[in-house]
Order: sequence, then structure tokens, then C-alpha cells
Amino acid sequence: MTRMNKQLLAVSVALALAIGALVWVLVSGPSESQAPGAKPSQSGSTETATRKIAARLYYVAEDGVHLATVDREVEYGEGTVEQASRILEAQLGPAPAPFSTAIPEGTKLRAVFVSGLGEAYVDLSPEMGAKHPGGSLNEFLTVYTIVNALTTNLPAITAVQILVDGKEIDSLAGHVDLRRPLQENVRWVAPPTPPEGLTTNQ
Amino acid sequence: MIFSRKALVSASLLTLMGLAVALYGQGTAPSSPLLLLTREGRTPLPTFMVNNQEMVALDELAGVFKFAVREDTVTNAVRVTHRDKSILLTPDQTLVSVAGRLVSLPAPLMRSGRRPPGDGRWLVPVEFINRAFALVHDEPIELRKPSRLLIVGRLQVPRVALHYETVGNDLRVSFDLTPTVGHAIVQEARRLLVRLEADAIDPAIPAPPAQNLLAGVRVLDTKTIELTLGQRFGSYRSSLPTSTPASSRILVDLVPSAPEVTAAPPAPTPPPGATIPGGDPLPGFSARRPTIRTIVIDPGHGGDDAGARGPSGALEKDITLAVARRLKAAIEGRYGIRVLQTRDDDRLIGPDGRAAYANNNKADLFISLHANASRNGGAKGAEIFYLGLDKYGDEARKQAHLEGGVLPVFGGGSRDIELVIWDLAQARHVDQSAVLAGIIEAQLRTTKVDVGTLASQQGPMRGLAGVNMPAVLIELGYLTNPAQERALRSEAYQTLIAQALTDAVAAFRDYSEGNVGETVRGADPSGGTRGPDPSVRRADPLGPPLGTEPPPVAPASFGR
Repeated sequence: MTRMNKQLLAVSVALALAIGALVWVLVSGPSESQAPGAKPSQSGSTETATRKIAARLYYVAEDGVHLATVDREVEYGEGTVEQASRILEAQLGPAPAPFSTAIPEGTKLRAVFVSGLGEAYVDLSPEMGAKHPGGSLNEFLTVYTIVNALTTNLPAITAVQILVDGKEIDSLAGHVDLRRPLQENVRWVAPPTPPEGLTTNQ
Repeated sequence: MIFSRKALVSASLLTLMGLAVALYGQGTAPSSPLLLLTREGRTPLPTFMVNNQEMVALDELAGVFKFAVREDTVTNAVRVTHRDKSILLTPDQTLVSVAGRLVSLPAPLMRSGRRPPGDGRWLVPVEFINRAFALVHDEPIELRKPSRLLIVGRLQVPRVALHYETVGNDLRVSFDLTPTVGHAIVQEARRLLVRLEADAIDPAIPAPPAQNLLAGVRVLDTKTIELTLGQRFGSYRSSLPTSTPASSRILVDLVPSAPEVTAAPPAPTPPPGATIPGGDPLPGFSARRPTIRTIVIDPGHGGDDAGARGPSGALEKDITLAVARRLKAAIEGRYGIRVLQTRDDDRLIGPDGRAAYANNNKADLFISLHANASRNGGAKGAEIFYLGLDKYGDEARKQAHLEGGVLPVFGGGSRDIELVIWDLAQARHVDQSAVLAGIIEAQLRTTKVDVGTLASQQGPMRGLAGVNMPAVLIELGYLTNPAQERALRSEAYQTLIAQALTDAVAAFRDYSEGNVGETVRGADPSGGTRGPDPSVRRADPLGPPLGTEPPPVAPASFGR
């Protein structure tokens, strides 16, 4: 093969790869259906093109006695159960300053189930109970962080029951009754002072 | 035959290991089997303790309830079929599908023993019976774990709690029946027999105090309680001062024999065997029964459950016990009301045990004491909680007021009964609990106890749900606040709290008896709306419309 032929072959291969990549990008764009009640959006990264939705998450306000709401982008999930898992995974993560999280450190999501009646069962790791600091107020803030995170963002979920380590529990620290699903409750949600750089609600 | 020492030691070790393996695999037996009560009779139902969870063999239940059990070896699931309805259970999964509905159990389906799959028996938590199987069964099923009873069918099995009280020279024995059933009292020689018109009884009988009127109490048969009379017994009086379909109290006063030297005319006594159902109180009884006769104070947490912890090490369980003791002394000393504590030492009691203690003692008020915690060290102030209900509790509340039943009684006829859902017994008392919370908040403010900005609040409180009387949970202050921790540890502040709560009890008693007088009106120095005016305090227990804030002085509401 002559040198010219080699160059021609290399250019042809490069061109074919470029065309192939272009076709793949065009064909494999986002096509999933939207989860019920979720608001879809695109992340700013052009490389990953991971689909996101806007979700309202709950954190302990600076006064320590209320929950503040923060709108954040969380990963898109196919269907109610998958989307609930993505929202909870985001909710279990660290809180944005100046807020703190009501979820005990180290708590992990084990599973989510949703019944035909719209009752979600959220199974969390043992840290949820074992590392809870106690007190009625803390317990309310913890419980309604989970309950509200799902009921606010997913209309298909009407109530939430928290399980720990795969089992139904009476309460986290002796105060809030967790033996049955709880509905959304905004009693402990207060309008926070909007901190810089964050979109807050109410 | 002679065995070598080595062989004997080996055999012993093998036996011990075998026993250990067997115990590990099968679980240990609980203190007693469940007693299955049906129209046909009584049958013990063996259960096993596995990892602190009481389990029952599925094949045992299949024999009792005549359901089919089919194992799917592909999915490793077990299907229970009863009258065309199915329950699907999966090992390692606490959620089971009952005719398409998900139900949560405290433990998953598991195999007994350590033998190969297929050889061991399938075990399910005993709660499977009342939570899952009851949904596909055509008769009601009630599991009373503390009493070790499993009641199948519409049987009349009242709870019967006895307590004793010295009234002058008499010994009063109270029988608290829940629900109410007919009764008859018969004297036979040196014993009194209290016979109840029930299929069985669920008794709670403490030992009688040391005296000479009553020598002993025991359950004679399935529906009779026997009082063995003491040496000083002369006669008895019985009455039924309170009776609703839901509950009633039978009073039996044991009167000592009159001393021979006494010239006083003999007291009128009813003929033996007579009882006065619903009749007027006999001579010697007050014409007006006080509304608050017994109060149960519940010091929160205890034992391994220390509760919240202050920065200097103060423990919630110690603070609540100290305040409870002061409060008991203050109420008893000032008003002579009987005060009981769910615990008077450092031990752990579950929420159902605390509620059962109050219910069995027929308390008129339940006050649970706690100390709060916050992530913000500056949070401070006492808060008062009472039960809030969402759609589940709302249905229970409606049923508590509306739902009843008609049961046949012995001798013909029928009796209307009111059904109590023990899981949410508090549902029927929410309005009164709201009043009590408001009064307590007012008294705490009057007494200069630091009260939080959230003040009275309504929520799904676990410890109040099963309490069958007006009930509140008081967070005395924030242990996570260093200044409040110091205050809560101090004798002076504890006494101040006890004083405020004692005044609140008196004010609530006045309110209940219709004497809303000076005690209450003086509670709020602002002279405004903090008094126990029912029109103000009787907020809708389900809360205001969505998105609205509760009025500033009314108890906070549960709901959106």
C-alpha cells in the first residue's frame, strides 16, 4: 500500500467514526417518559446529558425547630418507585449551607415500595433509628423530611410509612407513631430566609 | 458397659452442641403459648421466639384456620389461599401481599431449623394472624399479646382490671370492665363470686393489700372471679357508679363486722347475691363522683433508652423521673387525687405497656413527661403535644363514636356495645386532650416556666395513641440548650414545673366538672383567650383547612 493510500484510509476511518458518533448522539437523545408529577430539566453538562428533574427537598432550618424547603435537581427515574428512590437518595445526602439534615448520619436507602393505594414504604438502614438524637421535635423533623419529600414531589404517593432495616417500627426514638403510613404535614415547615445561591420556597 | 472418660466428654460436648444448634434454629419458646378462643372452645397455639420476635408455624395456622399453603419453588414464595383470596409471602421480606394490598409485618417469613430447605417449617410472626390473615378471614380476629389471647369470632371477652382502695374502714374493690358486660355477685360462705356474662375474661388482678377483709383473689373459671373473704369481713355493698357500653366500673365495698361493743344501729345491707345494676349509689357513697380520681404520670424513656442527652450529660430519663416524683407528691398532697407512675425506677417500658397501665387502672388523665432536643443549641421552651390524626386516625375516630355492635346476652335479648379500637383508643378523647393541652400551656406561662414558640402541638404521638383517657405529652424544655439543661436539673425549676402542672390538673378538673372558676380564669394574666373555654379549645382535631395557620393561642394542628 502506498503512502497516499494509507493517508486516504486513515481519513476515511476518521470520517466514518465522526459520522457514526454524530448519528449515535442524534438517535440516542433523551426519550424517557416523565415521571408522574415530576418536572424534567436538563443538566448543564453536555458530556453526560444525564436527565434531571426539579424536586423540593427538606432540611432543618437555622432555628433548629423548623424545616426549610430547597428546590434542587435530582436524577430522573423511570416510574414512581424509581423516581421516589432518586428523590430519597438526594434527600439523604448532605444539606446545603446554612441548613442541616434531619436524617441521622450514615442512613442509607434500602428499598422503596409503592402499593396500589399510593402508600409508599420507605425502607432505610438501621442508622435511621440507632443514631437518632431523640426528642419529639427532632423526630418530627426527621419523619416529615422523608414523608414530605415524597408526597410533595410525587402526586402518585399519598402517604409514606418508614421501615428500618426491612422491618416495621413503632417509632424512631419513642415519640412519632410510625406504625402506619403518614400523610404530608407542613406544620413544621417554615418560610426560611433565602440564602445566597439557593432557590428556596415559600 | 464401661465408657472411657474421653468418650464421655466427647458425647457430652456433642449433645450440648446439638442442643445449641436446635435452640438456635427453632428459637426459644415464649413464657406461654397463645390461647386461641373460638366459639368451639380454647386451644393453645404454640409459638417460638426467634430474634426477639414471636413466631408461629404456618402449618399450625393452616390446621386451625383451614387454609391452604402452597410453596413456589421457582420464586421461593409461599402462597396462602383462603376462600378464593390469597396472601403472598416471601422470605426476607416483611411486606406481604394480602389480596393485592400490601401489609407490613414486624419480621419476614422464615424457615425453622437449620436443616436443608424443604425440611424446616415455615414460620411467620404472630402479627400475621391479625394484620394479614384477618383481612381475608370472614370473622374478626383480635390478638391480645400481653394477655396471650387470640380471639376469633364475635366473642365477648372483656378486660377486667381490679384495684383496691381503703375507704374509711371499708376495703373497696373496683372491677373495671372494658367493654361492659352484665354481671352478678353472689356470696357463698366465706367467698364472693363475681360472675360476668361473657364468653371469657381477660383479667388483670394485682395482689390485694395487707388487711383482714380480703384474703385473696383469683380467677375461678372462664367467667368468674372469686374473692376469698378475710376474718374481719362482715358484709358487702356493690354498685355500678359508671357504665357506658364501652366500659363500666363495678364497686364492691367489703365492710368489716361491727364490734360487739358498738351500740350503733346496723348499716343497711343488701340481701346476699343482690347487685344494683345502674342503680343509685348506696348510703356511704358520695352523691357526686369527682371527674378526676386517678392520674397516671408517665416519666418518658428509662433503662437502656436514655432519651435526649444534654451537653453536660443530663439524661432525659432522669429528668422526667425526677419531675414525675415531684408532680405526684404535689397533686396527692394538695388534692388527694390518686396518682400512679408508669415507672418509679430506671427501667424500660414500651409504649403499649404504659398505655395499658393507665387503661387498666382506669385513670382519668394521662400525663407523659419528656425533654426535647434540637440541632440548634439555642432552641428552648416547653411544648405540649396531644394526638393528631390523619386519614387513618380519622376513620378510627369516626368508628370510635359511631360504630357499635349488637351482641346476644345470656338469658335472651341483646346488648348494644361500643367497640374500641385499642390501637387508637385516644381517638375518642382528642377534644378533651386539646383542652388539657391548652390549660397546661396557660398554667406553664402563668408560673413563668419557659414555654416554646410552638407551644401546644398536635401530631401522631406513639405514646398517646392507645391511651383511653384525655392525654398529653409534655416536653419540659430543651436538654440541648445548656441553660435549659441546668434549669431542668435544678430542684427549683423542677418544683416550678410540678407546681404549674398541679394547677393545670385542678383547672382541668374544674373545667370537667363545670366549675370554670377562679383557678382557671386566673391562669392567663393577659386575661384573654387562654382559659379553658371549650368554644376556644375544642379545635377540630383534624386541624384547620390546608395551608392555614392555627390561631396563635390554640393548640397547633396536624395537617397541611
